[in-house]
Amino acid sequence: MSSARPRQVPVIEDAALAALQDTLAAEHAALWSYGLAVAFLPEDLADEARADAAAHARLRAAVEQTLTDLGRRPVSALPAYATPFPVEDADAAARLAVVAESDALVSWRAVLERTADRTLREAALDALTGTTLRSARWRERTGERPAVPTFPGRP
Amino acid sequence: MTDGTATTPGLTRRRVLALAALAPVVAACTAAGTDDGGPDPLPALADAARADAALAAAALTADPTLTGRLEPLRAARAEHAAALDVALGAPPAPAAAAPAAGGDLAAVRVAVQASAAAAAAAVPDLPGERVGLVASIAACCATYAELLT
Repeated sequence: MSSARPRQVPVIEDAALAALQDTLAAEHAALWSYGLAVAFLPEDLADEARADAAAHARLRAAVEQTLTDLGRRPVSALPAYATPFPVEDADAAARLAVVAESDALVSWRAVLERTADRTLREAALDALTGTTLRSARWRERTGERPAVPTFPGRP
Repeated sequence: MTDGTATTPGLTRRRVLALAALAPVVAACTAAGTDDGGPDPLPALADAARADAALAAAALTADPTLTGRLEPLRAARAEHAAALDVALGAPPAPAAAAPAAGGDLAAVRVAVQASAAAAAAAVPDLPGERVGLVASIAACCATYAELLT
């Protein structure tokens, strides 16, 4: 009565793997969003956006590697993403960064809620914390209050 | 996969290494995590939230120029306490009494940093329906601590 599951099936829950794929999709979208935002931001904020994009690139690479190690095929980035509003100036670019960070927060919290694996929880909490700080800095600039989300990632 | 139905920690640890490498600070904190069967960490986290709110309130009473920086933190910590009470099924507790002294920006930062560490330490062992709330609180507190530096 053995199942068709391969011998090296990992211990990470299927729901957590699905949440990691959602997180990877959010990280792809965040990187694309910062790429667009940089074009409209003044130089000092563009530098911040590039640093934040680099942080997302590190997260994306770690999630991709983790999924690959767990025998899953990481979801690919889309060629382009629909923005929730037209991005044609610096204000909209900063608001796009807020959206990208908010989406990432939701996906990282979902990973935490779907795994009992301590190591994965610790990694996801670290990602949630770093993303909260980036989110707070962009929300400060766009005038959203409170700048620091009170329950980061709560859907 | 002989007896690995429940946990195969070695395999798991290796397999999430790519992500775990991002979390050295958090990993270092987890030695203080609660063990299975330890006391429920939520009441202490709720008390810490009330104490932080009271400390921030005292600090901005002593120096109203801090209102812009500390009022959002005070409000957030009050909301954290209320949400933890809901998760505990406890009636809302009254706000903590203002501390007699020590309410300044640095004291608030130290307190909220300790609260972030306590919440983070609870994250690995909490049941799934509670971990999201506590992780969000940990991330929020860590961010306030960073921004007050």
